[in-house]
Amino acid sequence: MKRVLLLVALLWGAAASARDVVSQVRERLADVPLLRGDFEQKKTVSGFKKPLVSRGAFLLSREQGVLWDTKQPFASTLTLTRKSLSAEQGTGAAAYHLDASKEPGLAAVNEVMFALLSGDVKALAKRFKVDGELVGAEGWKLTLTPTDTGLQRVFRSIHLEGDKYVRRVQLEEARGDSSVILFDKLSQTPPPSDAEAGRLAK
Amino acid sequence: MRNKAAILWLLVVLSVGAHQVWFWRSARLDTDVLALLPEDEQAPEVGAATRKLADQAGRELVMLVGAEDWDSAQRAADVVKAELSRDDSPLKASALDASALDTALDLYRPYRDRLLTSSQREWLSKASPEELGGTALMKLYQPAGPRLTDWEADPLGLWPDWWAARAAESTARPRDGRLWLSGEGREWVLLAWHSQVSAFALGDEGNITSAVARARAAMEAQVPGSRMVSAGVPLYAEAAASQASSEMSTIGIGSLAAVLLLVWLTFRSVRPIVLVGVSLALGCAVALSVTALVFERVHLLTLVFGSSLVGVAEDYGFHYFAARQGKPPSERWPLMRGLLPGMVLALATSVVAYLALGVAPFPGLRQMALFSATGLVAAFLTVACWFPLLDTGELPVTSFATRFAASLSRWPRFTHTPAWWVGTAALGLFVVGGLWRLGTRDDVRQLQNAPAHLISDQRELGRLLGLPSPAQFFLVGGDDSEQVLEREAALKAKLDPLVAQKVLTGYRAVSDWLPSAARQRADAELSARAEAQAVSAVAQATGEAPTRARFSDDVLTPERLLSSPASAAIRPQWLGRLGDSQFSIVMLRGLNDPSVLPRVADVAQGLEGVRWVDKTREISSLLERYRELMGGLIVLGYVAVLLLLVARFRRQAWRAWVPTVLGTLVTLACFGWAGEPLQLFTVLGLMLLLGMGVDYGIFMLEHPGDDSAWLAVALAGVSTLLSFGLLGLSATPALRSFGLTMLLGEVTIWVLTPCCRLPSGKDVS
Repeated sequence: MKRVLLLVALLWGAAASARDVVSQVRERLADVPLLRGDFEQKKTVSGFKKPLVSRGAFLLSREQGVLWDTKQPFASTLTLTRKSLSAEQGTGAAAYHLDASKEPGLAAVNEVMFALLSGDVKALAKRFKVDGELVGAEGWKLTLTPTDTGLQRVFRSIHLEGDKYVRRVQLEEARGDSSVILFDKLSQTPPPSDAEAGRLAK
Repeated sequence: MRNKAAILWLLVVLSVGAHQVWFWRSARLDTDVLALLPEDEQAPEVGAATRKLADQAGRELVMLVGAEDWDSAQRAADVVKAELSRDDSPLKASALDASALDTALDLYRPYRDRLLTSSQREWLSKASPEELGGTALMKLYQPAGPRLTDWEADPLGLWPDWWAARAAESTARPRDGRLWLSGEGREWVLLAWHSQVSAFALGDEGNITSAVARARAAMEAQVPGSRMVSAGVPLYAEAAASQASSEMSTIGIGSLAAVLLLVWLTFRSVRPIVLVGVSLALGCAVALSVTALVFERVHLLTLVFGSSLVGVAEDYGFHYFAARQGKPPSERWPLMRGLLPGMVLALATSVVAYLALGVAPFPGLRQMALFSATGLVAAFLTVACWFPLLDTGELPVTSFATRFAASLSRWPRFTHTPAWWVGTAALGLFVVGGLWRLGTRDDVRQLQNAPAHLISDQRELGRLLGLPSPAQFFLVGGDDSEQVLEREAALKAKLDPLVAQKVLTGYRAVSDWLPSAARQRADAELSARAEAQAVSAVAQATGEAPTRARFSDDVLTPERLLSSPASAAIRPQWLGRLGDSQFSIVMLRGLNDPSVLPRVADVAQGLEGVRWVDKTREISSLLERYRELMGGLIVLGYVAVLLLLVARFRRQAWRAWVPTVLGTLVTLACFGWAGEPLQLFTVLGLMLLLGMGVDYGIFMLEHPGDDSAWLAVALAGVSTLLSFGLLGLSATPALRSFGLTMLLGEVTIWVLTPCCRLPSGKDVS
C-alpha cells in the first residue's frame, strides 16, 4: 500500500509543471533579508590545467548589495551595489570601479547576482527559463537557461542546488569556462559591521 | 501664317499633354527642404557630407516607447511592434538586436590587442608589473563576469571596457532582449523602422504617418499612461507633401475660381471663361513639364508657388477680351495686333523679373523662376495664337464692364494742389518711419514648415538618445585615410576637455572604430608588453604556464571595416575620396546650447585639415548674402526698367515707374511698422513686383483714355491680389512673406497707377 502511494506521489510530482516546482522551491527557501557565510569557488578556465580554487566570505544584503571577499590564494574584495561595481586587491595595487549610472547594463548583472545568491526564483524567472526538481524532504535543484540575449552572451546555463539556502551554484559560461561555488556556514546574523555597511553604501 | 502659329502651338501643347501623363504617373516630386538650398560654392565636400548624412536618414524612422515602469514599457512596445508589423504596414523593423553585435565582435576579435581607450592607454603605459599582475589575477578569480573572449586573449579584461566606451555613443542599452533607456521620468524601449515606400511618392501621402498614429492609438488604449516619441525624415516628408497639396488646392483652385468669376461678371459669356481657363491650364501644364524636364524632379514648394501663377497669367486674356468687348468679330486680328506691343513689353518685364529670381544659386528658386517664366510665356502664346481663332462670336458690352470702366474718370489724378502735396508728405513720413524701423532676418527656418509636434518629438528624441547633431560637425580632410584618421585623433584630443567640461556630451568619429594604422601598431605593442607581464605574474601565482593568445599580424584597414555590415552606423561619416583628398565627418552629441558653438568652432583652430561646419549658420549667411545681392539687383532693375520705359514713353515714362517704386517703398514701410523683418523672400517678392507692377502703367500709357485698358488692368489687379493674397496663407514662412510682399505692393501700385495716368486728351507721343 505504501508503495502504491509512493508511486502515485511520484507520478503526481512528474505531472506537476515546472512552474509548480518553482513555487515549491520558493516555499522551501528561507526568505532572507541578510545572508552571510563562507564560499569556495572552483573555476575552470581555458589555458589552465587545474581548477582555480579560491576561498573567502560573503555578505548579501537584499536592500544594499553583495560583498565578496576572497581570502585565498590572495586577498581581494568585490563590492556590488545597485549603483556600482568595484574591486580592489588586498595590497591596493589594483582596483577598478564601474558606475551603474554610466553603465546601466550593470544593474541587470547586479539583479542576477542578488537573485542567484538569495535564490530569488521569481526574479530569475524574468531572465531565465527555469527547470527544476525537488530532492528529498528539503532539497531542490534548478537549471536556469538564459532567455535574455545579453545574458546568453555570458552564460550557457546555471545550476542551483540548495535547501533552506542556496548551497551550490554552478555557472557554465558561454565561452566554455565554468565555476562551481559552494556555500558554507550560512547564517542570517550578525548584521553588517560598520566597515561592511560603509562599503555597501558606496 | 496665323494658322501656322496656332497649329505649331497645338503641337507643343499635345506633347506637353503626353509628358504630363508620364509625369504624374511617376510623381517625381521633392519635399526635402535641403533640395531647395544651394550647393556651397566654396566647399563641395561640405555639400557631399550633408547629402550623405541626409540620404542615410531618408527612410529611417526611430521611435521611443515609454511608460512609468519597465514592464509597461515592454508591453507598450509589443503593442506598437505588432501594430506596425502587420502585412499592410509601410514599415519594416530594423535590426537592432544581438546578431549585429556578434557580427561586430567577430570582425574586431583578431585586432583586440590594438583597440585601446585613451584611459587604458594611459594606465598601461604607467602601471607597474605588480599592478598588472594583480589585476589579471583578480579578474581571473572573480566569479563569472562579462568576458567577450577567452582569458588568454584578454588577460587584463580590457576589451569589455573598449566596447563600453563604444556603447557610450548611445544612451540605449540592451535589456531583456530590447534596447532600453531611462529618462525624463520614464523607462523607454527603442524601436527602429525602415520605410518600405518612398516618402516622396505623392498619392500615398499620410501612409506612414497614419500607420504610426494607429500604432500610437492602439498603444495608448492598451497600456494607459504610455507615451510614444517618433521622428524620421519620412514623417517630415509626408507632412510637407500633405501640406503642399492642400495649399496648392487652396491657392490654385481659389485663385482660378476667383478669376473665372470675375470673367463671368465682366463678360457674361461662356467663351471668355473657357478660353481664359484654357490659357491658365496650359500655362501651368507647360510650366510643369518644362520644369520637370530641366530639373528632373520638381519640388512641392515650386508647385505651391506656381499655383499663384494663375493670378498673373490671366492678364493677357483679360486684355484681349476687355478690348474685344463690343467690337465686331471681324476686328479680332487687327485688335490682337494692336494689343501685342504692350502685351509683349509687359510679358518681357514680368519674365525678366521672374528669371531674376533664378540669379541666386538656389535650386528651389531656379525652379520657381523657370516655372513662372515658362508658365507666363505659355499663357501668352495661347492668347496670341488661339484666342482670335477660337473667339468667333459676338461679345456685347455688359453693364458691369461699363460701370467698372467708367470708374476711371472718377479716380483721383495727381495734380499740383496743396492737398496732393500734403498727402505726398504724409506718405513720405510713413515710408521713412517704416524704413527706419525695418529689421532683417536671415534664418533657415523660413524654409521649414514642419508641424510643431514633429519638431518637438525630434528634439525630445535627440535629447533622450543623445543623438549627434546633423547640422554642426567637423569635416576632416587629408591626403589618405591614414592622415584623416590621425587628424581625427588630434581633433578628439582637443574635444575631450570640452566633453569633460560638459560643453558636449561626446562625439562620434570613424577613428573611434578604426584607429589609424600607426596608433594600432603602437597600441598593439603597448598591450603586448603589459599583458606579457600580467600573464607571467599569473603563471607564477598559479604554478601553471598560460600563454597569451596571438593576434592578427596586420592592422584593421578601412576597406576591411567598411566592407563589413558591422560598420553600417559609422559608414555615412566616412566620405571617401572627393577630388584629391579623403574626408570624414566627426559628429557631436549633446550640443544643445547654440551659445557654445563658437567655443566648439575654435577647436578647429590650428588643426590642419579640420574644418568646422555649421550648416545652420552657413545657410543663414548665404540667405543674407543673397538678400543683399538681390537688393542691389532691384535697384539696378529699377534703373533698367526706367531706361526701357523712357525709350518708349519719353517724358511720360515716370507715370508707369513711380507707382511701382512707391509700391515697393510702402511695402517695406508696412513691414517696418508691423515688425516683420526683411528677408531674402521679401526681396524676391519686391523683384517680382518690379516686373509686374510696371505692366499696369504700360497698359495705361499704351492705351490712354481707353476704358477697356483700365478694365483689363483692374481685373488683372484684383485677380493678382487674390492669388498672392492666398499665397500669404501658406504655412511656409518664406512663401507667406513672399505672398504678403506681393499683396501689399500690388494693392499700392494698383491704387496709385491710375493716379499717375495721363491727363485726358493727352497722348504719349
